[in-house]
Amino acid sequence: MQTYRLNQYRVMWVMVFFDLPTDTKKDRRNAALFRKRLLKDGFRMFQFSIYLRHCPSRENAALHIKRVKKSLPPDGYVGIMIITDKQFGNMELFYGKKEKELPETPQQLSLF
Amino acid sequence: MIKRTLYFGNPAYLSTKDQQMVISFPEEEKEKVSIPIEDIGVTILDHYQVTISQALIHRLMENNVALITCDDRHLPTGLHLNLSGHTLQQERFTAQLQATEPTKKRLWQQVISSKIKNQAALLEAIYQDHEALLRWSKQVKSGDPDNLEARAAAVYWKKLFTAHTDDFKRGRFEDEPNNMLNYGYAILRAIAARSLVGSGLLPTFGIHHHNRYNAYCLADDIMEPYRPFVDELVLSIMDMEDIDIYDLSPELKKHLLQLPTIDVMLGKERRPLMVAMQHTTASLAECLLGNRDKLKLPERCKPIA
Repeated sequence: MQTYRLNQYRVMWVMVFFDLPTDTKKDRRNAALFRKRLLKDGFRMFQFSIYLRHCPSRENAALHIKRVKKSLPPDGYVGIMIITDKQFGNMELFYGKKEKELPETPQQLSLF
Repeated sequence: MIKRTLYFGNPAYLSTKDQQMVISFPEEEKEKVSIPIEDIGVTILDHYQVTISQALIHRLMENNVALITCDDRHLPTGLHLNLSGHTLQQERFTAQLQATEPTKKRLWQQVISSKIKNQAALLEAIYQDHEALLRWSKQVKSGDPDNLEARAAAVYWKKLFTAHTDDFKRGRFEDEPNNMLNYGYAILRAIAARSLVGSGLLPTFGIHHHNRYNAYCLADDIMEPYRPFVDELVLSIMDMEDIDIYDLSPELKKHLLQLPTIDVMLGKERRPLMVAMQHTTASLAECLLGNRDKLKLPERCKPIA
Protein backbone atom coordinates (compact mmCIF):
# COMPACT_ATOMS: atom_id res chain seq x y z
CA MET A 1 0.00 0.00 0.00
CA GLN A 2 1.30 3.41 -0.87
CA THR A 3 1.68 6.60 1.06
CA TYR A 4 3.25 8.79 -1.57
CA ARG A 5 1.49 11.94 -0.38
CA LEU A 6 3.34 11.84 2.92
CA ASN A 7 6.99 11.70 2.03
CA GLN A 8 10.04 13.56 3.20
CA TYR A 9 10.00 15.98 0.27
CA ARG A 10 6.50 17.20 1.13
CA VAL A 11 6.79 17.34 4.89
CA MET A 12 8.13 20.77 5.86
CA TRP A 13 9.80 22.35 8.86
CA VAL A 14 9.19 26.03 9.59
CA MET A 15 12.06 27.77 11.39
CA VAL A 16 11.71 31.15 13.07
CA PHE A 17 14.87 33.04 14.11
CA PHE A 18 14.64 36.21 16.11
CA ASP A 19 16.56 38.92 17.92
CA LEU A 20 14.18 41.03 19.94
CA PRO A 21 15.04 44.16 21.97
CA THR A 22 14.75 43.78 25.74
CA ASP A 23 15.76 47.26 26.85
CA THR A 24 12.46 48.49 28.26
CA LYS A 25 9.75 46.72 30.19
CA LYS A 26 7.47 47.10 27.18
CA ASP A 27 10.04 45.48 24.87
CA ARG A 28 10.42 42.51 27.19
CA ARG A 29 6.67 42.11 27.36
CA ASN A 30 6.39 42.18 23.55
CA ALA A 31 9.18 39.63 23.25
CA ALA A 32 7.52 37.34 25.79
CA LEU A 33 4.18 37.65 23.99
CA PHE A 34 5.74 36.77 20.65
CA ARG A 35 7.41 33.73 22.14
CA LYS A 36 4.18 32.64 23.84
CA ARG A 37 2.28 32.91 20.56
CA LEU A 38 4.88 30.71 18.87
CA LEU A 39 4.44 28.10 21.61
CA LYS A 40 0.66 28.24 21.26
CA ASP A 41 0.99 27.69 17.54
CA GLY A 42 2.93 24.47 18.16
CA PHE A 43 6.49 25.73 17.73
CA ARG A 44 9.20 24.22 19.92
CA MET A 45 12.39 25.83 21.13
CA PHE A 46 15.40 24.54 19.22
CA GLN A 47 17.92 27.10 20.48
CA PHE A 48 17.30 30.20 22.59
CA SER A 49 15.88 32.29 19.77
CA ILE A 50 15.32 29.65 17.15
CA TYR A 51 11.92 27.93 17.11
CA LEU A 52 10.82 25.01 14.99
CA ARG A 53 7.54 23.57 13.82
CA HIS A 54 6.82 20.40 11.87
CA CYS A 55 4.15 20.74 9.14
CA PRO A 56 2.76 17.81 7.14
CA SER A 57 2.56 19.82 3.90
CA ARG A 58 3.70 23.02 2.21
CA GLU A 59 0.17 24.42 2.41
CA ASN A 60 0.10 23.83 6.14
CA ALA A 61 3.51 25.48 6.49
CA ALA A 62 2.13 28.54 4.66
CA LEU A 63 -0.65 28.76 7.24
CA HIS A 64 1.73 28.77 10.17
CA ILE A 65 4.00 31.33 8.49
CA LYS A 66 0.97 33.55 8.09
CA ARG A 67 0.23 33.23 11.79
CA VAL A 68 3.82 34.11 12.73
CA LYS A 69 3.64 37.19 10.49
CA LYS A 70 0.41 38.22 12.20
CA SER A 71 1.98 38.06 15.64
CA LEU A 72 5.24 39.85 14.79
CA PRO A 73 6.44 42.16 17.60
CA PRO A 74 6.57 45.93 16.89
CA ASP A 75 10.39 45.99 17.00
CA GLY A 76 13.04 43.37 16.48
CA TYR A 77 14.62 41.24 13.81
CA VAL A 78 12.76 38.08 12.76
CA GLY A 79 13.59 35.51 10.07
CA ILE A 80 11.21 32.80 8.83
CA MET A 81 12.43 29.89 6.72
CA ILE A 82 10.96 26.60 5.53
CA ILE A 83 12.91 23.50 4.58
CA THR A 84 11.83 20.00 3.60
CA ASP A 85 12.06 17.12 6.03
CA LYS A 86 14.71 15.66 3.73
CA GLN A 87 16.91 18.74 4.14
CA PHE A 88 16.17 18.89 7.85
CA GLY A 89 17.25 15.28 8.21
CA ASN A 90 20.66 16.15 6.69
CA MET A 91 21.46 18.66 9.43
CA GLU A 92 24.39 17.79 11.66
CA LEU A 93 24.07 18.60 15.34
CA PHE A 94 26.74 18.77 18.03
CA TYR A 95 26.95 19.35 21.71
CA GLY A 96 30.53 20.30 22.40
CA LYS A 97 32.45 17.92 20.18
CA LYS A 98 29.92 15.17 20.66
CA GLU A 99 27.46 14.51 17.91
CA LYS A 100 23.80 14.88 18.92
CA GLU A 101 20.66 13.37 17.52
CA LEU A 102 18.19 15.46 15.53
CA PRO A 103 14.75 16.20 16.93
CA GLU A 104 12.46 13.40 15.91
CA THR A 105 10.16 13.93 12.94
CA PRO A 106 6.60 13.50 14.23
CA GLN A 107 4.92 10.60 12.47
CA GLN A 108 1.33 10.67 11.33
CA LEU A 109 0.76 7.73 13.67
CA SER A 110 2.27 7.94 17.15
CA LEU A 111 1.97 5.10 19.64
CA PHE A 112 2.46 5.85 23.32
CA MET B 1 -4.63 18.50 5.77
CA ILE B 2 -3.81 15.05 7.03
CA LYS B 3 -4.17 14.98 10.79
CA ARG B 4 -2.26 12.85 13.24
CA THR B 5 -3.46 9.66 14.89
CA LEU B 6 -2.43 9.12 18.52
CA TYR B 7 -2.69 5.71 20.14
CA PHE B 8 -2.29 5.27 23.90
CA GLY B 9 -1.64 1.67 24.86
CA ASN B 10 0.42 2.37 27.99
CA PRO B 11 -0.13 4.34 31.21
CA ALA B 12 -0.01 8.08 30.54
CA TYR B 13 -1.32 11.38 31.92
CA LEU B 14 -2.84 13.63 29.29
CA SER B 15 -3.29 17.32 29.94
CA THR B 16 -3.10 20.59 28.06
CA LYS B 17 -0.98 23.72 28.06
CA ASP B 18 -0.66 26.52 25.46
CA GLN B 19 -3.08 24.76 23.05
CA GLN B 20 -0.83 21.70 23.09
CA MET B 21 -1.55 18.19 24.32
CA VAL B 22 0.98 17.39 27.01
CA ILE B 23 1.71 13.71 27.55
CA SER B 24 3.56 12.77 30.71
CA PHE B 25 4.41 9.31 31.93
CA PRO B 26 4.41 7.64 35.35
CA GLU B 27 8.05 6.69 34.90
CA GLU B 28 9.85 9.87 35.84
CA GLU B 29 12.83 9.42 33.57
CA LYS B 30 10.59 9.56 30.52
CA GLU B 31 10.39 13.05 29.09
CA LYS B 32 7.11 14.87 28.52
CA VAL B 33 5.84 15.08 24.95
CA SER B 34 3.86 17.99 23.61
CA ILE B 35 1.71 17.83 20.48
CA PRO B 36 -0.24 20.68 18.81
CA ILE B 37 -3.94 19.86 19.29
CA GLU B 38 -4.86 21.36 15.92
CA ASP B 39 -2.70 18.69 14.23
CA ILE B 40 -4.60 15.79 15.82
CA GLY B 41 -7.39 13.95 13.99
CA VAL B 42 -7.97 10.76 15.95
CA THR B 43 -7.00 9.83 19.52
CA ILE B 44 -7.37 6.25 20.72
CA LEU B 45 -7.35 5.53 24.45
CA ASP B 46 -6.61 1.86 25.00
CA HIS B 47 -5.24 1.44 28.51
CA TYR B 48 -7.01 1.54 31.86
CA GLN B 49 -4.28 3.74 33.30
CA VAL B 50 -4.62 6.60 30.85
CA THR B 51 -5.80 9.70 32.73
CA ILE B 52 -7.17 12.62 30.74
CA SER B 53 -8.10 16.10 31.94
CA GLN B 54 -11.45 17.68 31.18
CA ALA B 55 -9.76 20.75 29.74
CA LEU B 56 -8.00 18.52 27.22
CA ILE B 57 -11.23 16.72 26.27
CA HIS B 58 -12.77 20.14 25.68
CA ARG B 59 -9.85 21.28 23.52
CA LEU B 60 -9.96 18.06 21.52
CA MET B 61 -13.67 18.53 20.85
CA GLU B 62 -13.08 22.15 19.89
CA ASN B 63 -10.66 20.93 17.23
CA ASN B 64 -13.03 18.22 16.01
CA VAL B 65 -10.89 15.32 17.15
CA ALA B 66 -12.47 11.85 17.25
CA LEU B 67 -11.75 10.51 20.74
CA ILE B 68 -12.04 6.71 20.83
CA THR B 69 -12.12 4.56 23.96
CA CYS B 70 -11.48 0.83 23.96
CA ASP B 71 -12.66 -2.13 26.05
CA ASP B 72 -10.59 -4.81 27.75
CA ARG B 73 -10.33 -6.74 24.51
CA HIS B 74 -8.78 -3.62 22.94
CA LEU B 75 -11.66 -3.12 20.53
CA PRO B 76 -13.06 0.39 20.11
CA THR B 77 -16.26 0.85 22.17
CA GLY B 78 -16.94 4.56 22.30
CA LEU B 79 -16.56 7.56 20.06
CA HIS B 80 -16.66 11.05 21.48
CA LEU B 81 -17.39 13.76 18.92
CA ASN B 82 -17.87 17.48 18.68
CA LEU B 83 -21.44 18.80 18.97
CA SER B 84 -20.94 21.80 16.72
CA GLY B 85 -18.55 20.88 13.97
CA HIS B 86 -19.66 23.39 11.36
CA THR B 87 -20.85 27.00 11.30
CA LEU B 88 -23.83 26.30 9.01
CA GLN B 89 -24.76 23.26 11.04
CA GLN B 90 -28.45 24.03 11.56
CA GLU B 91 -29.04 24.58 7.84
CA ARG B 92 -27.24 21.36 7.00
CA PHE B 93 -29.01 19.27 9.62
CA THR B 94 -32.31 20.46 8.18
CA ALA B 95 -31.25 19.61 4.64
CA GLN B 96 -30.11 16.18 5.78
CA LEU B 97 -33.28 15.39 7.73
CA GLN B 98 -35.53 16.67 4.96
CA ALA B 99 -33.72 14.87 2.14
CA THR B 100 -36.28 13.13 -0.08
CA GLU B 101 -36.38 9.37 -0.61
CA PRO B 102 -35.34 9.67 -4.30
CA THR B 103 -32.32 11.80 -3.37
CA LYS B 104 -31.21 9.30 -0.74
CA LYS B 105 -31.68 6.43 -3.15
CA ARG B 106 -29.64 8.13 -5.85
CA LEU B 107 -26.83 8.78 -3.36
CA TRP B 108 -26.97 5.15 -2.20
CA GLN B 109 -26.69 4.05 -5.84
CA GLN B 110 -23.45 6.03 -6.23
CA VAL B 111 -22.06 4.70 -2.96
CA ILE B 112 -22.71 1.06 -3.83
CA SER B 113 -21.53 1.40 -7.41
CA SER B 114 -18.27 2.87 -6.12
CA LYS B 115 -17.90 0.17 -3.46
CA ILE B 116 -18.31 -2.66 -5.99
CA LYS B 117 -15.90 -0.93 -8.35
CA ASN B 118 -13.27 -0.72 -5.62
CA GLN B 119 -13.86 -4.36 -4.71
CA ALA B 120 -13.36 -5.27 -8.38
CA ALA B 121 -10.14 -3.23 -8.52
CA LEU B 122 -8.77 -5.07 -5.50
CA LEU B 123 -9.66 -8.50 -6.95
CA GLU B 124 -7.95 -7.46 -10.18
CA ALA B 125 -4.83 -6.44 -8.26
CA ILE B 126 -4.57 -9.88 -6.63
CA TYR B 127 -5.16 -11.62 -9.96
CA GLN B 128 -8.64 -12.86 -9.25
CA ASP B 129 -11.50 -12.80 -11.71
CA HIS B 130 -13.21 -9.44 -11.33
CA GLU B 131 -15.30 -9.19 -14.52
CA ALA B 132 -18.64 -9.89 -12.84
CA LEU B 133 -18.09 -7.25 -10.18
CA LEU B 134 -17.00 -4.67 -12.73
CA ARG B 135 -20.15 -5.37 -14.73
CA TRP B 136 -22.38 -5.15 -11.67
CA SER B 137 -20.81 -1.88 -10.56
CA LYS B 138 -22.26 -0.29 -13.70
CA GLN B 139 -25.69 -1.85 -13.25
CA VAL B 140 -26.55 -0.55 -9.79
CA LYS B 141 -29.95 1.14 -9.95
CA SER B 142 -31.29 3.92 -7.75
CA GLY B 143 -31.53 2.54 -4.19
CA ASP B 144 -29.92 -0.76 -5.29
CA PRO B 145 -33.26 -2.67 -5.49
CA ASP B 146 -31.55 -5.78 -6.95
CA ASN B 147 -29.24 -5.84 -3.93
CA LEU B 148 -26.14 -6.07 -6.10
CA GLU B 149 -24.19 -5.06 -3.00
CA ALA B 150 -24.89 -8.43 -1.39
CA ARG B 151 -24.29 -10.35 -4.60
CA ALA B 152 -20.96 -8.64 -5.12
CA ALA B 153 -20.01 -9.24 -1.48
CA ALA B 154 -20.69 -12.97 -1.79
CA VAL B 155 -18.33 -13.26 -4.76
CA TYR B 156 -15.80 -10.88 -3.31
CA TRP B 157 -15.36 -12.56 0.08
CA LYS B 158 -15.13 -15.96 -1.56
CA LYS B 159 -12.17 -14.83 -3.64
CA LEU B 160 -10.39 -12.33 -1.45
CA PHE B 161 -8.52 -14.60 0.95
CA THR B 162 -8.17 -17.73 -1.21
CA ALA B 163 -4.38 -17.41 -1.09
CA HIS B 164 -4.39 -17.43 2.73
CA THR B 165 -7.26 -19.53 4.05
CA ASP B 166 -9.51 -22.16 2.52
CA ASP B 167 -12.79 -21.42 4.22
CA PHE B 168 -12.99 -17.74 4.99
CA LYS B 169 -16.27 -16.58 6.46
CA ARG B 170 -16.91 -12.89 6.95
CA GLY B 171 -18.60 -12.08 10.24
CA ARG B 172 -18.12 -10.15 13.44
CA PHE B 173 -17.27 -13.14 15.59
CA GLU B 174 -15.75 -15.41 12.96
CA ASP B 175 -12.11 -16.48 12.78
CA GLU B 176 -9.08 -14.49 11.67
CA PRO B 177 -8.60 -12.28 9.74
CA ASN B 178 -12.02 -11.00 10.85
CA ASN B 179 -10.43 -9.54 13.97
CA MET B 180 -8.23 -7.29 11.83
CA LEU B 181 -11.09 -6.37 9.52
CA ASN B 182 -13.28 -5.39 12.46
CA TYR B 183 -10.55 -3.25 13.95
CA GLY B 184 -9.84 -1.58 10.61
CA TYR B 185 -13.52 -0.86 10.01
CA ALA B 186 -13.88 0.62 13.51
CA ILE B 187 -11.06 3.05 12.76
CA LEU B 188 -12.54 3.81 9.34
CA ARG B 189 -15.91 4.50 10.94
CA ALA B 190 -14.32 6.94 13.39
CA ILE B 191 -12.61 8.75 10.51
CA ALA B 192 -15.93 8.89 8.63
CA ALA B 193 -17.90 10.11 11.65
CA ARG B 194 -15.33 12.80 12.36
CA SER B 195 -15.44 14.05 8.76
CA LEU B 196 -19.24 14.08 8.77
CA VAL B 197 -19.33 16.23 11.89
CA GLY B 198 -16.74 18.50 10.26
CA SER B 199 -19.02 18.86 7.21
CA GLY B 200 -21.99 19.84 9.39
CA LEU B 201 -23.89 16.54 9.12
CA LEU B 202 -25.38 14.25 11.74
CA PRO B 203 -23.65 10.85 11.70
CA THR B 204 -26.78 9.27 13.21
CA PHE B 205 -29.25 9.67 10.33
CA GLY B 206 -28.26 7.51 7.39
CA ILE B 207 -29.22 7.56 3.73
CA HIS B 208 -29.63 3.78 3.70
CA HIS B 209 -28.69 2.19 7.01
CA HIS B 210 -31.42 2.74 9.61
CA ASN B 211 -30.85 0.23 12.36
CA ARG B 212 -32.52 1.69 15.47
CA TYR B 213 -29.57 0.59 17.62
CA ASN B 214 -26.91 2.13 15.42
CA ALA B 215 -25.74 5.64 16.31
CA TYR B 216 -23.55 5.99 13.24
CA CYS B 217 -25.78 5.11 10.31
CA LEU B 218 -24.53 7.86 8.01
CA ALA B 219 -20.92 7.02 8.84
CA ASP B 220 -21.64 3.40 7.94
CA ASP B 221 -23.21 4.53 4.67
CA ILE B 222 -20.45 6.81 3.57
CA MET B 223 -17.59 4.47 4.52
CA GLU B 224 -18.81 1.67 2.23
CA PRO B 225 -16.60 2.60 -0.76
CA TYR B 226 -13.62 2.83 1.59
CA ARG B 227 -14.00 -0.67 3.02
CA PRO B 228 -11.95 -2.36 0.26
CA PHE B 229 -8.97 -0.21 1.34
CA VAL B 230 -9.16 -1.79 4.80
CA ASP B 231 -9.42 -5.21 3.14
CA GLU B 232 -6.31 -4.49 1.08
CA LEU B 233 -4.43 -3.32 4.16
CA VAL B 234 -5.39 -6.54 5.98
CA LEU B 235 -4.31 -8.59 2.96
CA SER B 236 -0.93 -6.84 2.90
CA ILE B 237 -0.48 -7.59 6.62
CA MET B 238 -1.28 -11.26 6.04
CA ASP B 239 1.40 -11.32 3.35
CA MET B 240 4.02 -10.17 5.85
CA GLU B 241 6.28 -12.72 7.39
CA ASP B 242 6.80 -13.16 11.13
CA ILE B 243 3.61 -11.54 12.23
CA ASP B 244 1.09 -13.16 14.52
CA ILE B 245 -2.32 -12.35 13.09
CA TYR B 246 -4.24 -14.17 15.83
CA ASP B 247 -3.56 -11.61 18.49
CA LEU B 248 -4.33 -7.90 18.08
CA SER B 249 -0.87 -6.94 19.33
CA PRO B 250 0.48 -3.37 19.29
CA GLU B 251 2.64 -4.46 16.35
CA LEU B 252 -0.43 -5.51 14.39
CA LYS B 253 -2.34 -2.37 15.33
CA LYS B 254 0.54 -0.22 14.20
CA HIS B 255 0.03 -1.58 10.71
CA LEU B 256 -3.75 -1.25 10.86
CA LEU B 257 -3.56 2.32 12.13
CA GLN B 258 -1.71 3.33 8.95
CA LEU B 259 -5.15 3.41 7.37
CA PRO B 260 -5.59 7.22 7.36
CA THR B 261 -2.38 7.69 5.35
CA ILE B 262 -3.08 5.26 2.52
CA ASP B 263 -3.15 6.97 -0.88
CA VAL B 264 -6.42 6.88 -2.78
CA MET B 265 -7.47 8.53 -6.03
CA LEU B 266 -10.18 11.16 -5.94
CA GLY B 267 -10.92 11.98 -9.56
CA LYS B 268 -7.46 12.79 -10.94
CA GLU B 269 -5.95 13.65 -7.59
CA ARG B 270 -4.00 11.49 -5.21
CA ARG B 271 -4.95 12.03 -1.56
CA PRO B 272 -4.35 10.33 1.77
CA LEU B 273 -7.50 8.43 2.75
CA MET B 274 -8.29 10.74 5.65
CA VAL B 275 -8.22 13.81 3.39
CA ALA B 276 -10.26 12.03 0.70
CA MET B 277 -12.90 11.23 3.31
CA GLN B 278 -13.23 14.93 4.08
CA HIS B 279 -13.85 15.61 0.38
CA THR B 280 -16.43 12.84 0.28
CA THR B 281 -18.41 14.10 3.26
CA ALA B 282 -18.20 17.70 2.02
CA SER B 283 -19.62 16.60 -1.34
CA LEU B 284 -22.35 14.64 0.49
CA ALA B 285 -23.40 17.81 2.32
CA GLU B 286 -23.51 19.70 -0.99
CA CYS B 287 -25.64 16.92 -2.53
CA LEU B 288 -28.08 17.04 0.39
CA LEU B 289 -28.30 20.82 0.09
CA GLY B 290 -29.14 20.36 -3.59
CA ASN B 291 -26.00 22.11 -4.88
CA ARG B 292 -24.58 19.12 -6.74
CA ASP B 293 -25.62 15.59 -7.85
CA LYS B 294 -22.43 13.59 -7.73
CA LEU B 295 -20.54 12.48 -4.66
CA LYS B 296 -16.75 12.59 -4.70
CA LEU B 297 -15.84 8.95 -4.19
CA PRO B 298 -12.45 7.28 -3.88
CA GLU B 299 -10.78 4.85 -6.26
CA ARG B 300 -7.88 2.51 -5.83
CA CYS B 301 -4.50 4.00 -6.82
CA LYS B 302 -2.43 2.44 -9.52
CA PRO B 303 1.16 1.98 -8.33
CA ILE B 304 3.61 4.71 -9.36
CA ALA B 305 6.05 3.38 -11.92
